[in-house]
Amino acid sequence: MIAIEGLTKVYGSFAAVDDVSMTIEAGALTVIVGASGAGKSTLMRMVNRLVEPTSGRVLIDGEDAARLPVHELRRRIGYAIQNHGLFPHRTVAQNIATVPTLLGWDRSRIAARVDELLHLFQLDPAKFARRHPHELSGGEQQRVGVARALAAEPKLLLMDEPFGALDPLVRAKAQDDLKAIQRQLSTTILLVTHDMEEAIRLGDRIAVMDGGKLLQYAPPAEILVHPATPFIGALIGAGDRPFRLLSLETAAQEAEPGEAQGSVIAADADLRNVLAELLWSRRVAAPVAERDGRVIGRVTLARLIERAGTPT
Amino acid sequence: MAASVARAVRIASFGLDKLGVVVAALLGVGAALPFAVFRANRIVAGEAKPFFEALPPFSVALFALAVLAAAGVSLLRTSARLRLATAVAFAIAAAALIGIAADHLTPPGERYTRVAPGAGFWVLAFAGSILFADSVVRLKLGPLARVLALALGAAAFALALWSGVWSGLSILKEYATRADVFWREAGAHLILAVGSLAAAMAVGLPLGVLIARRKGLRAPALNTLNAIQTIPSIALFGILIGPLGWISVRVPGAAVLGVHGIGAAPAFLALFLYSLLPMAANTVIGLDHVPRDVVDAARGMGMTGRQRLFSVELPLALPVILTGVRIVLVQNIGLATIAALIGGGGFGVFVFAGLGQTAPDLILLGAVPTVLLAFAAAIVLDAAVELVTGARP
Repeated sequence: MIAIEGLTKVYGSFAAVDDVSMTIEAGALTVIVGASGAGKSTLMRMVNRLVEPTSGRVLIDGEDAARLPVHELRRRIGYAIQNHGLFPHRTVAQNIATVPTLLGWDRSRIAARVDELLHLFQLDPAKFARRHPHELSGGEQQRVGVARALAAEPKLLLMDEPFGALDPLVRAKAQDDLKAIQRQLSTTILLVTHDMEEAIRLGDRIAVMDGGKLLQYAPPAEILVHPATPFIGALIGAGDRPFRLLSLETAAQEAEPGEAQGSVIAADADLRNVLAELLWSRRVAAPVAERDGRVIGRVTLARLIERAGTPT
Repeated sequence: MAASVARAVRIASFGLDKLGVVVAALLGVGAALPFAVFRANRIVAGEAKPFFEALPPFSVALFALAVLAAAGVSLLRTSARLRLATAVAFAIAAAALIGIAADHLTPPGERYTRVAPGAGFWVLAFAGSILFADSVVRLKLGPLARVLALALGAAAFALALWSGVWSGLSILKEYATRADVFWREAGAHLILAVGSLAAAMAVGLPLGVLIARRKGLRAPALNTLNAIQTIPSIALFGILIGPLGWISVRVPGAAVLGVHGIGAAPAFLALFLYSLLPMAANTVIGLDHVPRDVVDAARGMGMTGRQRLFSVELPLALPVILTGVRIVLVQNIGLATIAALIGGGGFGVFVFAGLGQTAPDLILLGAVPTVLLAFAAAIVLDAAVELVTGARP
């Protein structure tokens, strides 16, 4: 658990981060979202002290981050950034081994860990371990960047716009992979983005920032339904609100007993995609099936319409 | 249809090579100019000898064959391998022929006559080296292959010297009378050029790192080094006489170490000062160009300042720093000749002695090794820069 208490960073007379307090649950994926200049990166960089706070403090599992030697603190926290920051003169394996090497792990343990991470990120070690970063695609570079951040098994991972440099298709895949890996490793993740869509898609909780202040800190559904300020409402976009709300739930969650015609819908498909499929195939209901093909019920247009509106 | 296309392609490729036209023209000019210069002794005015007078009959034919073959191969669009082979064969022929000319023009038993390469020889050598360099570029030789080629060239050159084909040439007669001095000055030259480079690296690298870290130091430090570079070398020697003379007299042990107002100490110091700007500036530029994301990631992962510098920043800046080393070494090998003006030794000793005696052969004895040394240093360091850059984009 990370407790941020009254954190402030002042540059001259400009407060980049202004008295922010929030608690980040262990094992959750927390997203800080805001426009550029909102102070979100500065806030995140104060957690691993790449920026030293002007006032306030960060407690990691009850321990004041300011009391630890700064290099030790950073080696315990994973760090992944937008343009991955891979070392161009080192191979993929050497890049991933960076923090374990700094921590003085023995060679066999490092090699085993690098191998494990490459498998986890679907990168064949025989093919990728000895390549240099410039020999990888953008998506592969991004995966190596995250693998490197996770190498020393940190309990906390900081990610600054990690998918910003990826094209939309690769980005969607990378976001899904991150979700899956986070569930598997139960790492606490603090992720910064300017993209509300990404925040809603990934976040267990979302912190919205503007002008250095924390405006709202809540689960995505609450932010969509009860935006705390008109600014947050604008950030969500009134036109997209129902669809974003739908995107938070899966077909399995809204499946009801009954029959339906036509092609089946995957149980883990989000409701926005289900709605699109129903509209496109001119159906009012579709069968929902698990991955193994077992039909668990149906999802109806009427139910989707009910879920897409403000709860009454 | 297919046949006519093939014919069109053949005609198009059977054009003249543009650079080859220049090489062939230079070969023509070189053949027309005097191949060798004959002098009754080392300081009288020379008598220009065209190739047909400078060479015995059989060698005249060989000369004509070599020039025509080289011109033909350069003019036509021939393969890079053939061009390289031609350039090498032409160099061997020219080297042998100038030696033959020296023996042919020197009357038997005569000790005072001098035969030196004429303007024609130098133009032919220039044309041959263009053909050689161009074919090396076209072959896209890798860095290691180029260093190997340099080593082979140096070995062939040493073999030619040892075999005695050139012993009739004036420059080697100058060498023969002062062989021991030559090697002593060669050593002095290398110590001046390489030693001042080493000292400049020892000071310039840390200075560059410091300037790159502290932005406030950048302008004053680089401007000071820049100002030093603008001082003419002779003036710098003059400026250094005072302080070094004082040190020599007042600081115990300085005189024993060879520190005097004139001599090797001020020459070394001047070369060192001139080298500082390229070393420090290239270090700064190299460090500045390390991608910000890479530095940010290195900090964020918990590397200390020292770990970041040695395992990330300096390795990534290395190609630019090595380029600085290349600039400094080539510059210092050339500049070290002026050390002789203040008694600092080096190949400049022969250049200035030759100027004083109006003995052009003696000037060449100083100038030719200097040029060859600078050339070799440039090839080796270019290859090194390419090797360290090669592993990444």
